[in-house]
Amino acid sequence: MSFDANTIRDEFPILSMEANEHPLVYLDNAATTQKPQVVLDALISYYTTSNANVHRGAHYLSDRATAQFEHARDRVAQFLNAPENSYVIWTKGTTEAINQVAHGLEWCIAPDDEILITSLEHHANLVPWQQLAFRTGARLRVLPLTSKGEWEPEYAHYFNERTRIFACTQISNAIGVKTPLKDMLAAAKAVGAFTLVDGAQAVAHYEVDVTELDCDFYAFSGHKMYGPTGIGALYGKAHALDVLTPLQTGGEMVSHVTYNSTEFNTLPYRLEAGTPNIEGVIGLSAACDFLACQDREDMLIWEQKLARYVYDELKFNNDIEIYSPATDTTVVSLSVPGIHTLDLNGYLDSQGVAVRAGSHCAHPLMAQLGVSSTLRASFACYNTLSEARRFCDVLLEAIEILGDD
Amino acid sequence: MTELNRDAIQAQLQTCTSKEATFKELVSLSKQLDRLTDAEKIEENKVKGCESAVWLIERQENGVCTFQADSDAKLMRGVLAVILSLANGHSKAELQAMDLAAELNEFNLSSYLTSSRTNGILGILKRIKS
Repeated sequence: MSFDANTIRDEFPILSMEANEHPLVYLDNAATTQKPQVVLDALISYYTTSNANVHRGAHYLSDRATAQFEHARDRVAQFLNAPENSYVIWTKGTTEAINQVAHGLEWCIAPDDEILITSLEHHANLVPWQQLAFRTGARLRVLPLTSKGEWEPEYAHYFNERTRIFACTQISNAIGVKTPLKDMLAAAKAVGAFTLVDGAQAVAHYEVDVTELDCDFYAFSGHKMYGPTGIGALYGKAHALDVLTPLQTGGEMVSHVTYNSTEFNTLPYRLEAGTPNIEGVIGLSAACDFLACQDREDMLIWEQKLARYVYDELKFNNDIEIYSPATDTTVVSLSVPGIHTLDLNGYLDSQGVAVRAGSHCAHPLMAQLGVSSTLRASFACYNTLSEARRFCDVLLEAIEILGDD
Repeated sequence: MTELNRDAIQAQLQTCTSKEATFKELVSLSKQLDRLTDAEKIEENKVKGCESAVWLIERQENGVCTFQADSDAKLMRGVLAVILSLANGHSKAELQAMDLAAELNEFNLSSYLTSSRTNGILGILKRIKS
């Protein structure tokens, strides 16, 4: 197997579109990726050959749907290299997965307990913990990581006997930096804390191995890894999922109900109330298949090469400040002091270049970097070197047009 | 104070047939907008809900309203110039009777007024009427 972006591009119908009378250059992949034909086909195929509700009907279509639905669970478990005695719970995405854990562990949080996150978190891995802290009287603590993703030794005391939960992103969505996950998880485990990893930005790029990470929970979204929107998963070790209070109750998650009591179903169903997003699950499984067919290592090298190209093209430009690392990233997050990122974004968009301007749902991190927003170009497997070049050219044009005051 | 001529602005924007042309016209319009001083860019003059920071000041003389507005983003300053060309020189009662959103739609700016910016702009229009 060898990886070629130009070949893989052909599998993504949307990429041949024009945007504002220019060829579309889609560099907003950290927000959501485009979908390959195999994923689109899986959705159509599900509705044309298998649509029925899962788990309940004793009929032909229901059996087909249920078989595909449960096969998808195995597929995702394999994708994550989940060990035995663990489960995959379907969620709407990373946000719901984290909320499920934050809600589910509330019963074991006491006042004066500590919930620890890092300074590189997305709001999705911050606000649920902050709100949990408000509800329980626990203290939300923020482990300072540098914008290079380094953890200074003087902050070791953030992990202590009061730390109940440690939740951390694998990769910063805003600036694309990796966190020192292995060391931090070891420190968290040493003090007996529950550990959760936000894998939203990792799954499209890295081969995830939850057995090696040895975290209690791992959350991710399908739409950031070439799958459909509205589907994601919460992976968890059985003993960790077992103690979670369900975020939602209703049908499917019960085994027996009277007016006075409810007996909950076993895992994974106990945490999956209501009719699930069946098409999403099947589409996500197809996305796992799509990734399994690629040379993941070469694919990552390619994506990093594109980010590095942009970094090298822009690093000596005095107008531009880059917040992403030079290497080991698929993202270039930058700002141009004196020009609003929304204005830069407006010009890029007028030229068919799609990027993201804003605070990237990470207000505290923006404050740490001393900016209110950044412009983020994020790469996926189907991006080409000429697209990376086009981004640089158009950005420089934008600076030229917008910079004359 | 620079006079913002509604008809001239509208005519100019209607010649724009591409997003790029509209972008450049808004940038050019942004230069017609008088900037606010730092002392005027205070919290109570800030319009909430905009992606970029927007400040709006109102003055009334003989029943006629004059607005001044500013933003840290140029495109927004261009849009503000358009809005002020609609709103300035009217009485409060006239402004309240006007459908500012509908009038704004006549400026061929739809792609700049969509999505998350819309909420911000509606907030500006609401404040002008209040």
